[in-house]
Amino acid sequence: MSEQLRRYAYPLIYLLFASLCAIGMASQHGPSELGFAPRLVLNLTLPLERMVTLPVQELRGVWSDYVALVGVREENEKLRGRLARLEDENHQYREAILSSERFQKLAGFRAQRDIPMVPANVIHQDLSPWFQSLIIDQGAAAGIRPGMPVITDSGVVGLVSGTTPGAAKVMLMIDPQSRLDAYVERTRARGTVRGAASKTCDLDYVLRQESVEEGDLLLTSGMGGVYPKGLRIGTIAKVDRRTSGLFLAAKVEPAVDFARLDEVFVILEQRQIPEDQAFSAADEGLWPDPPPATPEPEVVSVAPSAAPPAPQPAPPPSAEAPR
Amino acid sequence: MSALAKLVGIGLALLLGQVLARLLLPGAIRPELLLIFALAMGLRGGGLQGLILAFGAGFVLDVLSVSPLGLFALLCGTACAATRLFDKALYLRAAGPWAMYVAGYVVVNWVLLGLAQRLFAPEGASEWADLLLRAPGSAAATALAAAPLLSVFRRLLSESDREGTWPVLAAHGPRARP
Repeated sequence: MSEQLRRYAYPLIYLLFASLCAIGMASQHGPSELGFAPRLVLNLTLPLERMVTLPVQELRGVWSDYVALVGVREENEKLRGRLARLEDENHQYREAILSSERFQKLAGFRAQRDIPMVPANVIHQDLSPWFQSLIIDQGAAAGIRPGMPVITDSGVVGLVSGTTPGAAKVMLMIDPQSRLDAYVERTRARGTVRGAASKTCDLDYVLRQESVEEGDLLLTSGMGGVYPKGLRIGTIAKVDRRTSGLFLAAKVEPAVDFARLDEVFVILEQRQIPEDQAFSAADEGLWPDPPPATPEPEVVSVAPSAAPPAPQPAPPPSAEAPR
Repeated sequence: MSALAKLVGIGLALLLGQVLARLLLPGAIRPELLLIFALAMGLRGGGLQGLILAFGAGFVLDVLSVSPLGLFALLCGTACAATRLFDKALYLRAAGPWAMYVAGYVVVNWVLLGLAQRLFAPEGASEWADLLLRAPGSAAATALAAAPLLSVFRRLLSESDREGTWPVLAAHGPRARP
């Protein structure tokens, strides 16, 4: 019996331990508290393991913190360059998305109106603080003539004050020389919007007894022969009912954000602008196309001057620039 | 110091060596040092105490890892028993055959690991592709480490055999032989 036991002891012991292992694995369901034997083994082996791992970790720390940093400067430079390229790409993508959105809005706006219009890009903004104008990349070759109104989907921008074959100069409605005949949408009260060389315009010649309130929408009246009727000008920002005089004073917040103009529409409607009031083709050497033939071209009518314009006599209510 | 204590000491040293290897070597060429110990315990002279030491070594691995408790113990015990079976047939007394046997068994051990995981803990089982991709490098590294250790194990096992450390279990020790 003892001999038999010894002969089969090895496989029996193996089967016993293997069964214990299998039971241990099968009975384990998720994380659980460690038993006595595993805790004992851990307590015995972990200090030894720590004795081995700590020096290695220290050595690795020395390596990674000092020795391995040799190439970091070069890598940093490369990464900076790559970051700059990616930022530039990102900027271009965002710009493309914004342009696409703007074009969609403009296309929708153009489709709504049954007026012949030419789209144009703004290529220059006036640098002078006294005058408010811009230059667009479409000119006489596209049918643009001085006196044509310029608008966006937000509202009135201004009017064309001069052209070349490939570009046109636009006087903004906030320019001090600009006048628009307008009416308040809510009450139909009429007045004249005058540029003030600032972010706001003045509303003149509105009778004191007219009902005008802050937030009222101002539209072009269509009188004066420049702007079609019903274009949005802006909203009343402030009303000042003077104690004396026939008219009230009001500030107008333009509907168009002139600081962020990228694309505009020129309305191709021939208005009767007297020839002597139109801008010449070459104006102040600012024209991109074609280059000015003479260094000091002749400037006609409302050409900007170096000083702020002198006060002008009040125009009649239906008057519109250019004068 | 008795041979058993020396064997335990070698097992501990191999365990610490495996810890070091985990810190210093990439996973694809990491040797399974404790598996060498388990395989060596199945060599002539290991006997039942060798089997128990192999199970114990696997149990330590189980405790130190997040494997289902008993998985590595079963694998190490099986490795020991397999060596006992193949020892005479493969003539595992020279470094060359021993290293080749160890390399082959490492691959088998990876397969057994995958099977055991699928049998007992299928939700956390390793992918076969991962196991088999890592097996060749690990097998080669383990074989390289195993070759020089053979003479050490043989000497200690023969000492243990002579001492008959655990006479009750030493079925094939000198006292058990007629």
